[in-house]
Amino acid sequence: MPEYTLVNPTTEPVIAPFDGAPRLPTLAGARLGLIDDSKRNADGLLAELSEILGARYEIAGVQWHRKPSASRPADPAALAALVKDCDAVIIAIGD
Amino acid sequence: MTPSKDTVTARWDDIFAAVETGYDLGWTDGLPIVPPTTDRVAAFLAAAGRDAAEVIGELPERRRVITADKVAANAVMAGCRPEYMPVVLAAAAAMLAPEFNLVGPSSSMGGAAVLTIVNGPIARELKINARNNLFGPGNRANATIGRALRLLLMNACAAIPGLFDRSVLGHPGKYTYCIAEADAETHWTPLHVERGFRPDQSAVTVFAAEGPRQVRAVGRPEAILYAVADVASSLGTSLSTAGSVGDPEQGIRQGEIVVTIAGSSGLWQDWSKAEVRNYLHGRIRRSVADLKRAQVLAGAVEPGDGERFLSLIPSAEDILVVFAGGEESNMSSVIPSWGPKVASAAVTREIRR
Repeated sequence: MPEYTLVNPTTEPVIAPFDGAPRLPTLAGARLGLIDDSKRNADGLLAELSEILGARYEIAGVQWHRKPSASRPADPAALAALVKDCDAVIIAIGD
Repeated sequence: MTPSKDTVTARWDDIFAAVETGYDLGWTDGLPIVPPTTDRVAAFLAAAGRDAAEVIGELPERRRVITADKVAANAVMAGCRPEYMPVVLAAAAAMLAPEFNLVGPSSSMGGAAVLTIVNGPIARELKINARNNLFGPGNRANATIGRALRLLLMNACAAIPGLFDRSVLGHPGKYTYCIAEADAETHWTPLHVERGFRPDQSAVTVFAAEGPRQVRAVGRPEAILYAVADVASSLGTSLSTAGSVGDPEQGIRQGEIVVTIAGSSGLWQDWSKAEVRNYLHGRIRRSVADLKRAQVLAGAVEPGDGERFLSLIPSAEDILVVFAGGEESNMSSVIPSWGPKVASAAVTREIRR
């Protein structure tokens, strides 16, 4: 049977090595960051969550970042600020 | 030219087995493909003067890098001719531009297709149809250039239906959605010239789009535009929904819109494209009462809501007017964008040869 060489039209993901941040032993005294993806209800979910966490732990402070569009990646400058100013970040996807 | 290094070996005895191989490999959109043999792909790259490894664009959210050989392989499979490659490459680069934000329209429930509009001399050289059956079948360049982009999306950009492509409905334009503007048959400024290119340049515009809605009004210009505005003001389009709004102050999504106008350009001799846009912009709107009845806006309808209107288009410049369609009648079409401009904006790129 004749053999043919075809150019593969598909791609594979190229994933750079990634080390996750170490887990926090507790949220007590932590500075919390919240990223709202801007879809409906994400803000409500995060507000409720932030209230519950605040009641359960002594959160040192909360910073919000709202993306201009859920379809867009978060602004790198906003992410850098959250990394600098927060110990933990929670992202909510609403709809 | 460096050949592609990423290859697959296949065997078949006859043409029918070759067709089945495309399905077995999972490379098709449901229709048969032309096998992307190394020789054929090399000929496509040579026609565009590109190296196999040249990076055409990246899709960082899916960790994909799209090289010229991937574009060529999908163009071969779609049934393109080698000379279509400059158009396919320019369109691929345009849809991978950051402002197009391909990850949004290629994954969203909204089910967008990539409408591709070709302008300039190359459209005539390649006989890309701008007239009768504008969005319909019968022309190789339109059918295969649009299909090449869809295959590239599915194969190289991981926009696989049911996986990353979460379209609820989709539409037939997701098989192929490529048109030209009949820019040599009108006094109107060509779309690519309005968007910063010279008339002697060729360019392609990509637009994350819903399907075209035909507008059958064929009277005087004001009557046609009155009907176009009415169609563009429908409830239920992306523009008049509330989720993922572009500007939180507005309460509704808004976005760009393409309007195609067919027939004889002579009917529009007293109108410029800017005048068409300005006429339409103020009329593409919906009352607060209607938006509340459709639960786009919250709350009960209150006195005065029927007389308060929200614009569905941020500015007149967000209406892309294209002279295209059959000569037989001055019919039009309305094509709403998939999302607000902040999520995906129309992108125009020069077609390099």
